[in-house]
Amino acid sequence: MLFPCLLLAQAKTITGRITDPRDNPVPNVSVVVKNTYRGTVSDVDGKFKLDVPANSTIIISHGGFKSQIMQADSLSANSLIRLEEDFTKMEEVVVTGLATSVKRRNLANAVGTISSKELNSVAPAQTFDAALNGKIPGAYINANSGAPGGGISVKLRGVTSVFGNTQPLYVLDGVFMDNSFTSAGLNTVTKARRGGSITSNQDNPSGRIADLRAEDIENIEILKGPSAAAIYGSRASGGVIIITTKRGKPGRTNITVSQDLGQVSVGRLLGVREFTAERAASLSSDSAASEALRQQFLAAQAAGEIYDYEKEVYGNKGFARNTVISMNGGGEKTNFYFSVAQKDEGGIIKGTGYRNTSLRFNIDHRINDNIKIGISSNYINSSSDRGLTGNDNTGTSIGIALSSTPGFAQLHPDKFGNYPANPFAGSNPLQTIALMTNNEAVNRFATGLDLEANLQKSSRSITKFIGRGGFDFYNLETTALFPSNLQFQVVDKGTSILGTTRNLNTNFILSLVNNFAASGDLSFTTSAGITSETGDYNNLINVATHVISGQLNVDQAGALNATQFRAKFLNDGFFVQEEASIHDAVTLTGGVRFDRSSNNGDAGKYYAYPKAGLSVNLTRLALIKGSLFDNMKVRAAYGQATNVPAYGSKFTTLVISNIAGNPGALVNTQKGDPSIKPERQAELEAGVDFSLLKSRLGLEFTYYIKKIFDFLMRAQLPSSSGFSSQWVNAGDLRNRGIEIGLNARPVASNTIIWNASVNFWLNRSLVTRYILTPVPLGSLVFASPQIEQGKSATQIVGLNGAGAGVLGDTDPKFQMNTYHEITFKNKLSLSFLLHWKKGGDNGNLTNWQNDFGQTSVDFDKVTNKLGVPDGVYRQMQVGSSAAIFVQDASYLRLREIGLYYTFDKLSFISFIKKIRVGVSLNNYFTITKYKSYDPEVSNFGTGFATGDDIDPYPASKRATFHIAIDF
Amino acid sequence: MKRITYIHAVLISALTVCFYSCKKDYGNLNGPTIEQFSGNASESQLDNLLSGTLSGMRNNLAYYLDDVGSIGREGYRFSGSEPRYVTDLLGAGTTTLTNSNFYITDPWAARYRVVKNCNLLIEAATNSTLISDAEKNGYVGFARTIKAYQLLLNLNLTYSNGIRVDVADPNHLGPFVGYDDGLTAIAALLDSAKTDLSNASVVFPLPGFEAFGDAAGLSQVNRALAARVAIYRKQWSQALTAIGESFFDLTKNFYFGVNHVFSTGAGDQLNPMFIPQNQTGEIRVAHPSYAAEIEAGDDRIGKATLRSSVASLTGLSSDRDVWVYTSSTALLPIIRNEELILIYAEASIQSADLADGVKAINVIRSGHNLPPYSRAMTKDTLITEVLNQRRYSLFFEGHRWIDMRRYDKLGYLPLDRPNDHVWVEFPIPVGEN
Repeated sequence: MLFPCLLLAQAKTITGRITDPRDNPVPNVSVVVKNTYRGTVSDVDGKFKLDVPANSTIIISHGGFKSQIMQADSLSANSLIRLEEDFTKMEEVVVTGLATSVKRRNLANAVGTISSKELNSVAPAQTFDAALNGKIPGAYINANSGAPGGGISVKLRGVTSVFGNTQPLYVLDGVFMDNSFTSAGLNTVTKARRGGSITSNQDNPSGRIADLRAEDIENIEILKGPSAAAIYGSRASGGVIIITTKRGKPGRTNITVSQDLGQVSVGRLLGVREFTAERAASLSSDSAASEALRQQFLAAQAAGEIYDYEKEVYGNKGFARNTVISMNGGGEKTNFYFSVAQKDEGGIIKGTGYRNTSLRFNIDHRINDNIKIGISSNYINSSSDRGLTGNDNTGTSIGIALSSTPGFAQLHPDKFGNYPANPFAGSNPLQTIALMTNNEAVNRFATGLDLEANLQKSSRSITKFIGRGGFDFYNLETTALFPSNLQFQVVDKGTSILGTTRNLNTNFILSLVNNFAASGDLSFTTSAGITSETGDYNNLINVATHVISGQLNVDQAGALNATQFRAKFLNDGFFVQEEASIHDAVTLTGGVRFDRSSNNGDAGKYYAYPKAGLSVNLTRLALIKGSLFDNMKVRAAYGQATNVPAYGSKFTTLVISNIAGNPGALVNTQKGDPSIKPERQAELEAGVDFSLLKSRLGLEFTYYIKKIFDFLMRAQLPSSSGFSSQWVNAGDLRNRGIEIGLNARPVASNTIIWNASVNFWLNRSLVTRYILTPVPLGSLVFASPQIEQGKSATQIVGLNGAGAGVLGDTDPKFQMNTYHEITFKNKLSLSFLLHWKKGGDNGNLTNWQNDFGQTSVDFDKVTNKLGVPDGVYRQMQVGSSAAIFVQDASYLRLREIGLYYTFDKLSFISFIKKIRVGVSLNNYFTITKYKSYDPEVSNFGTGFATGDDIDPYPASKRATFHIAIDF
Repeated sequence: MKRITYIHAVLISALTVCFYSCKKDYGNLNGPTIEQFSGNASESQLDNLLSGTLSGMRNNLAYYLDDVGSIGREGYRFSGSEPRYVTDLLGAGTTTLTNSNFYITDPWAARYRVVKNCNLLIEAATNSTLISDAEKNGYVGFARTIKAYQLLLNLNLTYSNGIRVDVADPNHLGPFVGYDDGLTAIAALLDSAKTDLSNASVVFPLPGFEAFGDAAGLSQVNRALAARVAIYRKQWSQALTAIGESFFDLTKNFYFGVNHVFSTGAGDQLNPMFIPQNQTGEIRVAHPSYAAEIEAGDDRIGKATLRSSVASLTGLSSDRDVWVYTSSTALLPIIRNEELILIYAEASIQSADLADGVKAINVIRSGHNLPPYSRAMTKDTLITEVLNQRRYSLFFEGHRWIDMRRYDKLGYLPLDRPNDHVWVEFPIPVGEN
């Protein structure tokens, strides 16, 4: 100890036992003398013992319970203290700095939290990222593909960037986790993006955050914008998602074994066109071909060989299992949490599926009274088989091939197992499914270290050193195999694409934190420190063609092409933050972080990210009296954050382009900008939170305005310059929005407890300055986003019959969710989550592909003014109006519903504490007018573009049976 | 208060220690930067730029040939996934050619990218102190020739909408010039390249230019292209002069010339125009009129082979595959003797030298198993004959539409559906203005 303690008169020793409302002992409850740092925590049996000065007040607090303030003198020996549940979460401790936290009742921001119960205990999703959907007020979440293994785009409080990163930063136990979406090189085969590149944003890869295990997570905090996240600096522009995993608790070792068994099936099918001889004949305008088609149909009809290929391809019922064994326990000095888990799930297309095996070991150790250390380590092995879906320009993707294949086509293999060529498309989807592979396999190891040491301690001041850091390493292997006997491999004679990605992220924060109680009602928390984050990404894709039959290795091929991409960054900086608390009711926070990044044009320049916040708890200040409000707080916060430019945006490079064995250098189509700056965001949010009716009803209201300055655009250059694009800081945009949250406990009796929450959120964006000429980012024919001054940043423009104009907007008008948990006699519980998205348009090309292929289910209906078949009518719009592609993607979805029963008085088997059994449905019911597989779709990746829908892997629904046994 | 001061002092001094200032800049890990070439390039760096130029010339070439081939009604590109080949390019119904669509943006950008590479090669060769003046002239003469050819391909698409000729500085691009001025500039560029090559030493590998691997050979290629530009400009005597200085030879193989070459080698490309016969889904078929209007016995019917089944899409049908590029490594001509013979014929006829014209026409006819020309010896009839021979000789090599436009005969191209249209030109791609 660096400083001697102040000697205080030890007037009294108090002892007590702390329990929850059901009289179960609560360990680890903090018992502190008010206005000092003198305190202790309760032990395994809820008991505590503390020496206190005369006439002192003590505060008893613990997460999940309301704080209690009592006079020490009123406590007799071993008095029983029963805590009340903190239903409105006002006592929850929320992380606000890199090394500091405050209680929610004093928080200046609307920080969203998701508990482990909400995340994973109702109707578990396949992957961690999918489990977030519908649970974050202020977020707009879409699936890049319904394929097994995840891949979710999360946008917090509107678009934060156009061509830069739009995704939040994920921090797992202090480790900055990588969430790259690494393409498997499918563009080689699909040519979804033209121009011969091996990868494209339409390859539908999964995001690496999907690897995490939701079962290990204790809680998630969401810092939605810079006003909360500024202290995370240059990578916080998309918000920060702070994930805390489960830790050991002192006392008896708990072992939980849980097993889920379930079925995955397609959410919804579109249906197929019913053919007749006439309709079959109409597929060709050539009289001979037309007659052949008619005969083909009649022959198929006579043989009973007319198929619903959509159902056949997407109708697989995947079996899903998930086993988790977890253990936690510990003693005075050391606590641990250990879990091992494996899940294996089939997909709705044969041959697709997801498997994840994970091991976690978290350990906390108190070296002595002043030093404690926490280690969190996690190994993950995952494998996803994702099929070949989505856009293409070669007729190879399963959905595109289906779109032009009528039901009378004969695609099934002969008795020797040979598949016929599909005369209606570039590929036979049944053959593709049977023969191809598209696998992503990950080995990942992440470890975080957390060290806290008291450097100085007195009754009024504590100074701590807090060091946090860790690394996240993974190796991703992508394997895409297309054997030579596939219909579309006649030219390439077998393609094998092997991708290897190594990624290492490291980060650390070294900080000093001082808590100082200046006087009875005034206390300060000062923190300062240094930060460093590095990334090293290395992606190598080998494309082998003319592959020796049956071989996987890329050297077993007639031709081999390699592509390598590397990216490295170092962001480092330092920060200071000061928090002042007056009467434990007024909290003032100010801080600034200075950061520089090797990705910026000037790698040595520090950028400053200030933040400030104020919260005033009116009830604690006694400004509001009476019994109506038991807590009322007004708050405001401001902060800045940035998004660093993508790696390499400052260079103009040459790419390799060989000919006849001669190495060639060809200018890249992207021009560099040596002076590129990070895009900067400033956010101001203000709100009021209150709880009433003895905390049975809580309400949070937040308004925010978030401005993005110098947003990065990959500006189109006149292509006659030889370049097609250049990164530029192109303008400013603004997001404004409202978030309203309501927590209630409408019924709380001895037999029934009903908890309910309702959230409402909306966001509006506006481009306030734009220095470039507004041009569509895609094609006007199919509708496209377009950045334009004075317009919504998420507008969709396209041909409208009289030139081009605005056809829609991808941002929803608003979103709402409601979560309910009804518990009967503490044994039977029913929980469900409903999610409503109102408005927000998608660019739906799936339906049109079916029209173009003349297979859409309503092709022959006649509801248009020309009296021609609707399919024909819709085709006629193409080229003059893009309005048919822009469709309202509103939906109401019963995202999760679960029914569980707990057996807990199992006197006959003494070693079992309790058994929980249940059934759940995930994404089972959706009401929408949207005409494709799923309105919640974004096939063109996690960037700015949202809601693109072109023959994706259809979304799945899941039904699961659960059993969990606690020992 | 002393304590607070002390604690803050500790915090601040800790911060000061934290200025471990060593800024990191990793440079570009994924390839060379332009600056590494333009400074003082070595011969191998110049060869890299030159090979990159030859390689880049092949990018998006299929779009160019499908544009010209579809609008010129040489054939159809049927694609299950891309309707715009049969809607926009054929002018179906109310569709128009849109300036943001791949069929103009992609080939246009690919050609200007090569122009940029040529400009970089010229700059690098000029700045290099590591090569002789003659070698310098070799690189510059090659770069200017290729640059002119690339500009010509874009001008063929945009026609009266024009092209930019001066694109050396990406931040200050020169103005658009119209069709005539564009051709004038291209001709001037070819002429200056000819001057460069007259005093040059060619020391670099030229795949696809095997018979023209020295300065004299490159100069012949340059003149062949100049002859093509001259007939586009209706400068018949200049065309004949250029033909005389080119590799034109009435007795040589029609396919003697320069080509794009393809291989399965690393970083190389395959012939994008190759589609095997009798495919479904992604196919390129001959316009029915190709076989319907061909003279009996013409061996060029082999360029459009009969399919095992008729292919149709949205009201269009054909029973013949385009079979010009017969393997994934088949050559794709840049310019070849057969075209030069036909240029010679056309320029001779236009210069009223009908006998020489007929002589050249008969070389083509007999080369394709046809009897000698026997119709009227009038200029108009002979020109029609030349255009017809060009149609069959240069099938799917990017000529028909341009030839019909040159003679104001787009109205003679067949329309297959009631509301189809024949376009005169492509719009300037989006983002240029």
